[in-house]
Formats: sequence, C-alpha cells, structure tokens
Amino acid sequence: MIDGSLSHALEHVQSELLDKRLSGVLQRLIRGGPEQQAIEAGEIDAIIDYSDSNVILFPAARNALRTVAPGESGREPVANSLLAALTQQEYQRLAPSLESVTLPAEAVLHEPGEPIRFVFFPIDCVISLLPPTVGRRTLEVGLVGFDGMVGTSLALGVNVSSLRARVQIGGTALRVPQARFLSALQESQTLRHELNLYIYAELAAARQTAVCSSFHLIEQRVASRLLMTSARLRSDKFFVIQESLARVLGVRRESITQAAGELQRRRLITYSRGNLRILNRQGLEAASCRCY
Amino acid sequence: MNARRGKPEKAVNGSKAVAVLRLYVAGDAPNSVQAVLNIEAICRDDLGGACDLEIIDVLQHPQRAMAAGVVVTPTLNKDYPLPTAQVVGNLSDKLRVLLAIGIRSPEND
Repeated sequence: MIDGSLSHALEHVQSELLDKRLSGVLQRLIRGGPEQQAIEAGEIDAIIDYSDSNVILFPAARNALRTVAPGESGREPVANSLLAALTQQEYQRLAPSLESVTLPAEAVLHEPGEPIRFVFFPIDCVISLLPPTVGRRTLEVGLVGFDGMVGTSLALGVNVSSLRARVQIGGTALRVPQARFLSALQESQTLRHELNLYIYAELAAARQTAVCSSFHLIEQRVASRLLMTSARLRSDKFFVIQESLARVLGVRRESITQAAGELQRRRLITYSRGNLRILNRQGLEAASCRCY
Repeated sequence: MNARRGKPEKAVNGSKAVAVLRLYVAGDAPNSVQAVLNIEAICRDDLGGACDLEIIDVLQHPQRAMAAGVVVTPTLNKDYPLPTAQVVGNLSDKLRVLLAIGIRSPEND
C-alpha cells in the first residue's frame, strides 16, 4: 500500500499527528516558565509527555535525527524502511539479533492461530497476508515489502497470527526472534512509533481491499496489484504466475488471463510465462483503481 | 558525545568533584549536541575538570528523565552541591550555567 505517493501522504500525516500531540503537551507547560522560554528561543529538541512516558521531538530535531544519524554512524544503508528509521543506537542494539534468511516463493511464515515465532523485515521479497477462508480461493488483505514487517500483531500485544503470511515473491528478509523483537520494542521509541504508523497503513489498506474487491473491475484490480508489487519490490520486473494472482485477488484464473491480455494489448505491460514487466507506469496507473 | 553518553565523567586525578551534573539530551539532535559541547567546555575550562558529568539520552531512558523531573531536553540538572538546580536549553548562556552550578554568585557579576 505504501507506494511513493502514499508514503509521502503518510509522512505528512505522521508529521501532523506529532505536531498536534506536541502542541497538546506544550499547552501543559507553565506559562512564562524556563521551559517555555527555552522553547521560544529555539533551544529545545524534545519534550516528555508524562501521561504515556513518550518523548516527542520538535520538528527540527526530528528532521536532524533522521538525516544526521546514519551518516554520522557510518552505518550501512538498511534495506528495510522500518529498520532504516531506527537511530544508530537502536539499530546497533538490534543488529546482532537480525538474521538474514532467503524466503522461497509460496513459503508460509505464519498460519492463522499459530504463535508468531519470528518477525520478518523483507528486503527484496514480497509477502501476502491472507485471512482464513474455506476452500482454495482466498483474498489478500495486505502485501508486505521492504517498507514493512510481517508479525505486526506482536506490537499490539497479540502473539498469535490471525492471518496466513505467504511469500508471494521470493527473496531475502531479516528475521528476529519474537522475544528479542518484543524487548527491542520496549527499548526503542522509534520502532514503536514507526510500527504504529505502519500498522495504521496496513489497516487502511485492508479496509480499502474490502471496497476494492466489491466495487472495482478485475482489470483495474490487476493493474493496482501489479503496481503495488512493483512498489514493494522497487522493480518494474518480477515473476508472478496467473494462478497466484487469481488466488490473492479472489477471482478465477480465466479472469486474470483476460485482464492481463488487455493490459498487454494496450502496451502497458509485457507478460510471458510468469515474467512480468511494466512498460508504461503512468498508463498502468490510469488503468488501475488506485487502491494501493 | 556518543562515547560518553550514559557514562559519568569522573573528576580529574580522583580529586573531589565540585559539581555532580546530569545532562538530559535527545540523541544527536542539534540543541543536544550543542549542550554537550557547552557543558564539556565549562567542565574543562571553568571547573578544571573537577566535575562528575553524566549524559543521559532520554530517547533511550525516558523513565530516568521523568524520575529526575525533566520535562524538555536539553536539561542540565545539578545534583551536587545542594541546593539542586536546573538549566534548560542548549547551555549557550554560560553565565546562567555557572550561576546554577553555584561557582559564581550573581553579586559578582
């Protein structure tokens, strides 16, 4: 769901939420007190919200920490957005627990009702989130790529998955054992904050899926799904078979064949034996229902 | 700053510290970095190194900051000698810091 435009929108929402929260805490300061004077002089980086023990950064500090910390640390760029948002210290503490794993397509990471033993931060793979259904047909309610994490319910205090997490496109991910992830969550305000936003985005995407699957045409949905996959992989080329697309969209394979054929005919994509390439992104966006 | 974060800077040659200071910062945010540089300069130049300075990152230890009554960062708490005192901001006003630490009285200035 978090492609370029949406991630910008999310960043904006995040910033607005923080600013609102900040102004709420600021109102509780003693008028004319030393804290307020220092804030007016621009000498303050953060304020502590005693109601929930959170530290809220002022906008300038927020920007500086995001841009300065990685450079100063000399740390390698992190290929997962949630991990990349951590401060240098937070990342260094978590790094020893991060294990790089190769996830083959169709591998199941979590089954509904099973305890979550590991969380996964995808790097160049894509994972489908599928609620339990009867029979073979199902409906994807989330797609996790380099901008997200599999196992978010742990952050909400639930250590059992309600979804099947199945690898849609194989690749590499970093995994962390459940207990270590929970302690990292306790230690890192940034991780909590980033995950809150991510979970909000996941929820919004799942709601959108309900609308999309009920009201939009299959061709539009296929176009959206291809754009979404491309955004999660940061690539215009990927491998996806028709059966798999049909399964996640909850439609028949023949419908996918027809929709993909039409997108090819309009020279928006090429698609042969599962090898898909986006030729005209703008055209594909126009053909999509934009539910991503 | 990162090397000393969370570790007390002991008085030089084991001599008795004239001040026990705790500086609460928010990671490497600009005012926090500035405050660390300023207090380190004061410790070195005005206290002759005889200060026990601990730098606490509130992003890592918000509970410690709350236990010390810190509301914003940077905040410098002087815990010794009594009475305790607090200075908020990036500590660029050196006189105000020295007055809070108690090594200069307002009458002298």
